[in-house]
Amino acid sequence: MKKLKIIWNGIVPSNPVLILAIGLCSVVAVTNFVKNALLMSFAFSFVLILSEVIVSSIRKWIPDEIRVPIFVVVIATFTTIAALLSHAYFPAVYDAIKLYILLVVVNCIIIGRAEAFAYKNGIFDSLLDGIGMSIGYSWVIIAIAVIRELFGNGTIAGLRIMPQTYQPALVMILPPAGFLVLGVLVGWLEWNIKRKEANKK
Amino acid sequence: MNKITKLTIVLGIVSAIAGGVLAGVYQMTAPVIQAQNIKELRAGLSEVFPGSYKFEEFKGTLNSPDPAATFGKIYLVKKDGKLVGMIIDVTTPGDQAPIEMLVGVNKNGTINGVKILKSLETPGLGANANNPHYYVNKEKKITFLGQFKGKKITDPFVPKKDVIALTGATITSTAVSKGVKAAGVAAYDYMNKEAGS
Repeated sequence: MKKLKIIWNGIVPSNPVLILAIGLCSVVAVTNFVKNALLMSFAFSFVLILSEVIVSSIRKWIPDEIRVPIFVVVIATFTTIAALLSHAYFPAVYDAIKLYILLVVVNCIIIGRAEAFAYKNGIFDSLLDGIGMSIGYSWVIIAIAVIRELFGNGTIAGLRIMPQTYQPALVMILPPAGFLVLGVLVGWLEWNIKRKEANKK
Repeated sequence: MNKITKLTIVLGIVSAIAGGVLAGVYQMTAPVIQAQNIKELRAGLSEVFPGSYKFEEFKGTLNSPDPAATFGKIYLVKKDGKLVGMIIDVTTPGDQAPIEMLVGVNKNGTINGVKILKSLETPGLGANANNPHYYVNKEKKITFLGQFKGKKITDPFVPKKDVIALTGATITSTAVSKGVKAAGVAAYDYMNKEAGS
């Protein structure tokens, strides 16, 4: 039960995007189309889960003063591995995600979780935290992408949903709408949490 | 051992391990990636010159007639050992970042095909230049790049005149047109000098 709670923590209560509000620049950049959001989720999950496990397993040997440079080395290594592997074995995917894979390395969620969780907890718990945070990140960016692509292009994941006569609202696939949709989602989640608290009372 | 030495050693060890792992992965993937790149290049070349042609890298250099367009690699297109066309890798400044494209030019002075390799244009506007389902001529189903096929290099290549511009993306339309024109003129000049000699 406690283990499940670690995963659940990343999905809603400490959702990295909606609640912790970190790593937002890449969120705005990749959520214009569902395909981009999906590919970013894969790259992100790969790097986050492996980095958390590695950081957690070497945490006892990491001197406190230089923990941040070591986190950066570990994260950059996995990002480069992800880039090389996808370039070699999934060239079509790499073509689409090469921009985002570079965004992963500067994504503060990953360094934030290494610092706040993996550095202080065991390997298995860190693995669970990585999985939870990855799911939490993925569902939010995919949800934003669905909304933006539907209104901005009339499609979801490339499939036409809106009738041909629908005039796409171009602003939705341009960067400003990333903030708009994100803001609405944050508000919606906060409203739900507040309402639940009120009901408890 | 004082503290700073210890820290240096630890960071050095971690970096060395990371470097070693990366070197290993790189060794493993480098040949695959290289083969991938060659395949991609061939696919790109045969997209602007479909059919059974032989592509040879051009050893000399060509000067671009337009200062805004810069030439990268140049390929000779041959059939039965005879030069029938050229492909030039051209880069022109786009709306947000340079647009890199392959332009195929026939020996008779017409454009054979255009393919965009790299671009970062606005989605929904300039990015439609590279969208195979976005037609500038809806009845005839001609894409923005498709309209250059068969176009004479002596044409002016000006959007909204002889080139159908992308809606709301004049900069992108102009950038691509300029690149195509520059490559066309340079390749045609070279091929005709070659024929004369």
